[in-house]
Amino acid sequence: MATRTIGSGSTAVTQDMLRRALEGRKVNVINPLVALTLLISLLASLAILVVLLWDVVAKSMPVWQERGWSVITNDLSPRPEETGMVQGIFGSVMLTVVVVILSFPLGVAAAIYLEEYARDTRLTRILVANIRNLAGVPSIVYGLLGLTVFVKLILEGMVGQLSGRTLIAGGMTLSMLVLAIMVITTQEALRAVPMALREASYGVGATPWQTIRHHVLPVASPAIFTGSVLTLARAFGESAPLLLAGAVLSTFFAAPEGTPITSLVMSEKYTALPIIIYNWSRQPQTEYIALTAAAIVALLVILLVVNAGTILARDALERRRIR
Amino acid sequence: MKLAKSSLRPGAVLAALLLVAAACGGDAEESSATTAATVEPAEESSATAEPAEEATDGLSGSIEVSGSSTVEPITALVAERFNAANPGVGISVEGPGTGDGFQRFCAGETDISDASRAIKDSEAQACAEAGVEWVELKVAFDGISVLTSPENDAVSCLDLGDLYALVGAESEGFQSWSDANGLASELAAAGLGGSHAPYPDAPLVITAPGEESGTFDAFVELALEDITEERGHDEPTRVDYQASANDNVIVDNISSNPTSFGWVGFAFFVENSSVVKAIEVDGGDGCVAPSIGSIADGSYPLSRPLFIYVSLSRMADNPALGPFVDFYLGDGFSSVAEAGYVTLPDDEIAATMSAWASGG
Repeated sequence: MATRTIGSGSTAVTQDMLRRALEGRKVNVINPLVALTLLISLLASLAILVVLLWDVVAKSMPVWQERGWSVITNDLSPRPEETGMVQGIFGSVMLTVVVVILSFPLGVAAAIYLEEYARDTRLTRILVANIRNLAGVPSIVYGLLGLTVFVKLILEGMVGQLSGRTLIAGGMTLSMLVLAIMVITTQEALRAVPMALREASYGVGATPWQTIRHHVLPVASPAIFTGSVLTLARAFGESAPLLLAGAVLSTFFAAPEGTPITSLVMSEKYTALPIIIYNWSRQPQTEYIALTAAAIVALLVILLVVNAGTILARDALERRRIR
Repeated sequence: MKLAKSSLRPGAVLAALLLVAAACGGDAEESSATTAATVEPAEESSATAEPAEEATDGLSGSIEVSGSSTVEPITALVAERFNAANPGVGISVEGPGTGDGFQRFCAGETDISDASRAIKDSEAQACAEAGVEWVELKVAFDGISVLTSPENDAVSCLDLGDLYALVGAESEGFQSWSDANGLASELAAAGLGGSHAPYPDAPLVITAPGEESGTFDAFVELALEDITEERGHDEPTRVDYQASANDNVIVDNISSNPTSFGWVGFAFFVENSSVVKAIEVDGGDGCVAPSIGSIADGSYPLSRPLFIYVSLSRMADNPALGPFVDFYLGDGFSSVAEAGYVTLPDDEIAATMSAWASGG
């Protein structure tokens, strides 16, 4: 007894517990059960994805075999055997460019203000709560906003265009849609930067802006970058707001020949890849079943390439920062 | 040292983003080049060659068409040919629905409104108030096809009374075809049809267009309206059926249930005739199946005309609009059959031509 007991009474109790834990016959069932449940959840969600992918790829195979690249590079046509999605790809890419230009600087700046400058007042809290709510507003509501504000009020009313249903109006609508999400992801990224980094910077006499520019942003930039691109991917796949904000839902439209790219963005009709998917899915001809699947595959491939590119770019950024 | 080094980072992020943007911009320009290139080699050389006088050189401008999704395929085919012959003219053809189309048309936003029914008085009034003058041009016929599953052997023909008993205002709550037997015999006693009862004792699963659709309006008008009025009801149809704006969803639901019921435009039936069965319709002169022949000669009771409405008010500012309609009524008529609809007989074509000549 004397040899085993090292300390006073409390130590003895601890030792007793330890021994019971070591010798006890109790089998831990909870832990493997939890692990199994989690694994099943993972497999289930993966299985759904695989089934979806398999379905669209298999359905689209005839199109790739018969049409090859022409289904990508052709303009829309009412003839299913000649139609193509280049106008939708162009529209989607240009929409995304507009969204990057409008919502990235605005969203990041707003987040920096909220995280680094704004005092924790009631007003700030109301602002933050509102931004979170905005991020949850259904996208169709932004479509209504786009139609009334950008198409009708600004482009047709103030600028005086005959039709405000242009790509720039669609881009502005999508920018509104992703702005709140952009602010939130950037806020999270900034919040993940350790406070000690800021304190050290202030400690050597840096101003708040110097601290943000030289210390906070470089550390947060990979996360901001990732968040932004995931947000843009969402904008890329949206269709509901664009339907309202004037994207052409049609099997045929054409701009006058030789229209410069600026006019295509500022004053001409446009469509987007998700809109084409929606429109093709409701056409009577059976060829459109495979065409719809092909357009979905194209959308997924573009999204995958962009996301993979983002991860590579982020890793490269991070490596350079550490070095 | 460290400060200077890390100061590069935000710049790098921005530069990367700009690069992405620039790359996308490059892509876009390239694709617009292919856009132009694919239009130009006149694949529709036959279309270009024949109406040489139509291909007015240097015609420019843009034409905006909206309206019925039923008529959209015809107008889209015509527009593609016209654009191939006149690449300087931009055209967009949309099909949100006849009602939505007239709303934009009467607000002066579109040049042409496709319609699968004639303009309503309320819509004509809206046009008049906005100062939009128009001309109505009949361009084709469509037949509304009443569908069920090919496995449904018990039902092959229905008259208008039967249709009313199954989907009319008084049929609400009927879960089985045979639930309509009582109503059908009541209608038969009043001389309103319903002569194909008793119906099978099987679930009645209905998928059909919703109220926003011109096909819905046309079905109500052609099949149900008279009996509904006679019976003193207001509702156009029962409301407890699955409505869909996507005709493929309707066809899918009908084909996947052995005792289904629904209706779609003729083109959707033709494309899917291997998976659905058209029920013959008896308008008083015997059972008639929907076919190009029966729709064209009017013997199929559920046939309807399709129209385009041309805004005369926009003709003055839009030099491309007149030639486009000329093209539509000339060479463009061959697109009607290609789109799966029924071409007008010669006297109707002549009537349309003279309407255009006197209106335009």
